[in-house]
Amino acid sequence: MSATPVLRVSALTKRFHGVIALDQVYLDVHAGEIVALIGPSGCGKSTLLRCLTWLEQPDDGFIEVAGKPLGRELTPGGVVRHQSRRQIDALRPQVGIVFQQFNLWPHMTALENVVRPQTVVLGRPRAEAIRRGEELLTRLGLADRMDRHPHALSGGQKQRVAIARALAMDPALMLFDEPTSALDPELVGEVLAVLRSLAEIGMTMLVVTHEIGFAANVADRIAFMDQGRILEEGPARDIIAAPKEPRLRNFIDLVMANRRHDNPGTTIDTTE
Amino acid sequence: MHFDPAVLVDYWPLLLQGAWLTLQVSVAALVMGYAAGIAVALIALMPGWLPGLVTGFYVETLRNIPFIIILFVVYYGLPFWGIRLPATLVGTAALALFASAYYAEIVRAAILALPRGQFESARAIGMSPMSAMWHVVAPQILRALVPPSTNMTLTMMKESAVLSSITVPELTYQSLVVQGNTFAPFEVFAAVASIYWLMAVVIAEISRRLERRVGAVQAEAVSRNRIADRYLSLVARRT
Amino acid sequence: MGFKLDFLLSILPRLIGAAAVNIRLAVIIMLLALALGTALTIVRSLKVAAVNACIAVVISFVRGTPLLIQIFIAYYVLPAVGLDLSPEVAGVSAIAFNSMVFVSESMRGGLATIDVGQIEASTALGLPPHAIWLRVVLPQLFRRIVPVLINEATIVVKGTALLSVITVVDVLRTAQQIASASYRPFETMIGSALVFLVINLVISLSGRVAESRFATARA
Repeated sequence: MSATPVLRVSALTKRFHGVIALDQVYLDVHAGEIVALIGPSGCGKSTLLRCLTWLEQPDDGFIEVAGKPLGRELTPGGVVRHQSRRQIDALRPQVGIVFQQFNLWPHMTALENVVRPQTVVLGRPRAEAIRRGEELLTRLGLADRMDRHPHALSGGQKQRVAIARALAMDPALMLFDEPTSALDPELVGEVLAVLRSLAEIGMTMLVVTHEIGFAANVADRIAFMDQGRILEEGPARDIIAAPKEPRLRNFIDLVMANRRHDNPGTTIDTTE
Repeated sequence: MHFDPAVLVDYWPLLLQGAWLTLQVSVAALVMGYAAGIAVALIALMPGWLPGLVTGFYVETLRNIPFIIILFVVYYGLPFWGIRLPATLVGTAALALFASAYYAEIVRAAILALPRGQFESARAIGMSPMSAMWHVVAPQILRALVPPSTNMTLTMMKESAVLSSITVPELTYQSLVVQGNTFAPFEVFAAVASIYWLMAVVIAEISRRLERRVGAVQAEAVSRNRIADRYLSLVARRT
Repeated sequence: MGFKLDFLLSILPRLIGAAAVNIRLAVIIMLLALALGTALTIVRSLKVAAVNACIAVVISFVRGTPLLIQIFIAYYVLPAVGLDLSPEVAGVSAIAFNSMVFVSESMRGGLATIDVGQIEASTALGLPPHAIWLRVVLPQLFRRIVPVLINEATIVVKGTALLSVITVVDVLRTAQQIASASYRPFETMIGSALVFLVINLVISLSGRVAESRFATARA
């Protein structure tokens, strides 16, 4: 592939008190792609997302967003240079993140949640920021919820406000941390629809999830992570239908068994 | 029994002077006590076991001793260490000391109640640490502080009545003076209680406005259902 | 003149003896406040608009005025209207009345946390109202407000120190007597502070033990 990937992660490594959380992670996400990152809990998926937003600082390796290094860069002379806090903050809007618990700001209305970062971080005039916020919230079906505070919104609505907040920064890439886990099971279809609608407008997304069914339905490509490493990646259908890595096979079997047990209604749609 | 407000006619200025001093003392103790409370709370949140132990000792001691005893300890303690101050200053300092323990707990709780994700989401979207503090963290802490701080300030204003026992000429002291002169307890205490009540209502109203300004969460009117409300609600239905 | 620890130790027995007065009065006050507070809560739940409006005024008054003034009212005003009470009885009435309001207010908060479904179920089963109160609502309510009641108990204990002002011979008044005889007020006050500190720490700690008992009993 000739085009620069929207996200390029190379040799990313992170240790917590000597325990390795990310072990030489390599991952490319190309423009317009939806990549699902799956794996058992504690495998390092969430740590990877936190490193991609520089909420955790990786110990080693590089992150490039739309061709620009984030956090740490290799100078032409081969020296690793750490970026300043300002440089990192300037790049952060490029990576939109939707947290598992959404982390909306409860003292602001839905609209203000979307408007404030635009004015503070991007320096957009308030009128323009409001216009953009209204447009995004309307597109996400929240036209009549803009003046509500987060505590007066349902889980699904909060998530869409969080998505709008991130989109308003015109990010090159959107990260989703377990987008289905804080919602009722019957809302999973709704999340799927929202992510697909983002894909239609060409948004590039990296979705962390432990729900294989969701991953299979939403993603173009799936990467399987275990013990801090990406063990296998490929087109979604192939990964689910013919996993090569034994640990992935185990994981899929385990999840499927649980799923049949808990919730016989949900099956993985691989025929679509 | 007779009630004759006319007996107070000569004493209103005295009572109002007392009320004015009560307000002054309360405001001074609020400022001093809050400053000390913030300091204690910040120390309590420092890492390690020692800061928590020391501040815990401070807070628990002050909260478990009656204010009137704290007052006497300070009142007799200062001269013991060679410090001689007018009673009003001593009383204000004791009141601030007493309130600081409660304010410290309020501040500590407000800081601890804020989820970590709030600061992180502001940082992740590109806000500088200062912007994140200003736009996201501070408003929420402030909002959590107003209701309990008002409550404590009201409590403290009421506790200031105890300063009468070290002859600080505040409202309660003046009421005892007037009572001694008139032997009209009903009229005197009705008047004095009303003045305190009025001050409390005004402070509560100021705080309600302040709460609205900082956007504190309004208690949601919980009307759950008629059957359960028969037992679980104390709100009379409007007819 | 330095701090005389041996003097402090020598007066502790007298102060501890006087503490029996504070403890006895605090127990009586708490029992009264619980009984009256529960009754007040039930009356408020009847939702008679005029009655609740009057109660709201009383609550606002009690919460808006100093306990010391309430004690003075009981001590100076009640005799003037023909109720001649001993200082102890006047003081106990004032603090109990004050505490009653706080008990009822915490019950109001506690009621809001009780599961609606239980009331519906009890009503559907045809339990009469007094049974719903006695068997369903109150037992849970008391369990829920244990922490608040413990806190209220320490407040009541602290409140009993104010009774010294109306001549009840409690820890503080005993301390004042000792202080004026010995000219050692500082040590004496430290001594009475220690006595109250110990009483209230014991209440808080036993409250915490009781709470964890309740918690395990429910689990």
